[in-house]
Amino acid sequence: MGIMKLSTRATTPSKRRRQLTKNLVAYSFILPNLLGFAIFTLVPIVFSLGLAFMSWDGANEISWVGLENFKELRDDTTFNIALRNTLWYVAGTVPLTMICSLGLAMLLNQPIRGRNIFRTIYFFPYVASLVAVAAVWNMLFFPSAGPVNELLRTLGVDNPPRWSASIDWAMPTVVMASVWKGMGYYMVIYLAALQGIPAILYESAKIDGANAWQRFRYITLPMLTPATFFISIMLTISSFKVFDLILIMTNGGPGRATNVLVLHTYNVAFRRFEFGYSSAIAMVLFALVMGITIVQFYMEKRWVEYSQV
Amino acid sequence: MNKWSDWRVVNLLTILLVALIAVSGGVIPSGVSAQDSITLKMTAWDVATTPYWQAVIDAYEAANPNVKVELIDLASADYGEVINVRLTGGDDTDIITVKDIPQYAAMLTRGQVIPLNDYIEAAGLDLSMYSGAADELIFEGSIYGLPFRSDIWILYYNKAIFDEAGLDYPANDITWEEFDALARQLTSGSGADKIYGAHFHVWRSCVQLATVQDGQNSIIAEDYSFMAPMYTMVTSMQKDGIAMDYGEQRAGNIHYSGPFKNGQVAMLPMGSWFIGSLIAAEKAGEFDFDWGVGAFPHPEGVPAGTTAGTLTSLAINAKSNNKDAAWDFIKFYSGEEGAKALAATGNLPAVRTPDVLEIFASLDGVPAEAIEALQTTTVRLELPMHPDVGEIEQILNEEHDLIMTRSVSVEEGLAEATERINEVLED
Repeated sequence: MGIMKLSTRATTPSKRRRQLTKNLVAYSFILPNLLGFAIFTLVPIVFSLGLAFMSWDGANEISWVGLENFKELRDDTTFNIALRNTLWYVAGTVPLTMICSLGLAMLLNQPIRGRNIFRTIYFFPYVASLVAVAAVWNMLFFPSAGPVNELLRTLGVDNPPRWSASIDWAMPTVVMASVWKGMGYYMVIYLAALQGIPAILYESAKIDGANAWQRFRYITLPMLTPATFFISIMLTISSFKVFDLILIMTNGGPGRATNVLVLHTYNVAFRRFEFGYSSAIAMVLFALVMGITIVQFYMEKRWVEYSQV
Repeated sequence: MNKWSDWRVVNLLTILLVALIAVSGGVIPSGVSAQDSITLKMTAWDVATTPYWQAVIDAYEAANPNVKVELIDLASADYGEVINVRLTGGDDTDIITVKDIPQYAAMLTRGQVIPLNDYIEAAGLDLSMYSGAADELIFEGSIYGLPFRSDIWILYYNKAIFDEAGLDYPANDITWEEFDALARQLTSGSGADKIYGAHFHVWRSCVQLATVQDGQNSIIAEDYSFMAPMYTMVTSMQKDGIAMDYGEQRAGNIHYSGPFKNGQVAMLPMGSWFIGSLIAAEKAGEFDFDWGVGAFPHPEGVPAGTTAGTLTSLAINAKSNNKDAAWDFIKFYSGEEGAKALAATGNLPAVRTPDVLEIFASLDGVPAEAIEALQTTTVRLELPMHPDVGEIEQILNEEHDLIMTRSVSVEEGLAEATERINEVLED
């Protein structure tokens, strides 16, 4: 933007020419990334948008079907189940991850011995291979002899949940796994934000007689709102896109208990070869995420405080 | 930065871009000059652990020195999906191995593989040598693949557990009811010493195949209530601890070979492909008990030796540039010579002449009872050919999952399967 503005101000031909050269150089730097984005992201998205109104099995002719694909969505029970499951997953994962990562960040912001080690440990799940995480998680929650259920039994629970093997507990199990995996990353963002709060605020609040809860409620929380806003948007988008964790942990099962929109899109495209219809599902997901993000941005003014300390 | 170096950067990028476009296939021709030698490409799965792919290729290359066959190794778990993506993207691999009927249906309805009828006619090939297996691949009068492997379901058992319990080994003529009663007698212990009388792997086919043995019904049906007796039997075996819990097998990602090789399982209904891996595992010292094979149990009133089977076949990619050479290879692979090479690796070829079976039986490690157990009277196909078979299979898998995790009752699950599959069939 800066360069563009400058170029309009340049008046003499030689200046303009030099400016053009400068611009071209600048563009040449963003070109590789832009090309990659265009070829691997933009073109497929536009293609998919078009496909949502067409019927294509991947090999035969593409034919225009108008809104047929979207009409089909209404009667697709699996789509409705997947939509409901996705909303459940988002409603569970987003607040839980935010609470856990904030709690962790607060704890690890204290001057405790070995906090760097703990920070690394909590960050570790985020960089660990998802396949390994899913396998370990399934082992921990193994219905008969898994450590979690053994513990529950010794605590006196006679019929511990069957976790991912049960239609009622499969979704909570997946949500827990995803919270555990993601919270380390958001913890780091909160940690950075916490360290950006000037100590002077706490000091003056203490002098004014504010207790720990009041300091948290009236200083920490408001000062963290920009970070909270950022995290809530990133988390919401990534939760709507959940696929890999579910594919590996439950494959949408038992039955359709953990089938989510992206998994359904994948199944319709690559197991049923209905690329048009699957694009329509993807577009619904896109509209959903877009809508919620817009609402979040709209709400931003009401609760996010950008302080000028 | 001076002007000269600025332009150099821009020029360099332009050159790079042009080079990129050229390399990606637009400008520089990629055709290879015609030579006498041909290289064929063929898709396969798990090449490292599946010895027969290369064994048959070696036999073919020895007889045809001017042809080289390259294997494209894919993972078996998502083989069908990967093939689909490759073919949709215009891949020109000559020979496509067909793993199951849903993949076969998907490829032929989309014109990605060619009909072989003309080739078969020109070569004067007699499809009766496949004893009916090839007929299952005919769709609307055309056949798009030739079977090379034909596996049937049999019963594996651990002789040590039977000896310990003082029971006779299962005969080649037992009904599912007798199987259930036997399994209950063989179950013992708990915790680490637990021995399961029977083991049902998580696959839908492990339960559903037994329901179509009588030939009255098919896996693609308008009413699935006929599956209720078998599901009731298997779920109550799980509930009573006679068979390993389905949910645990899923959660623990347990492969059926593990419990059997650990000596935890007395009887395992499974496909004949497991013979080869058991022989190899025994040789490698993974277990040291005697095992045997018997005929697949059958429902009351159905003749012994009736079982279910699955075909593995070869097809020619419509985009292949070497269709004639590919046909010659397929003819060899699925013919008697290929069958002999295949049998020598402990696998059951689709062509089973006395010579071929003799090679199989004389292999080191094949149990003496195997030949008798493999004498079948009738083989029912696992999944019949149908354009919507992929979608139907997914529904069946989901309902199987619900019934086996006991999330719904057997009746509810089958009623839901009936309803959902009728919706697909009506479309």
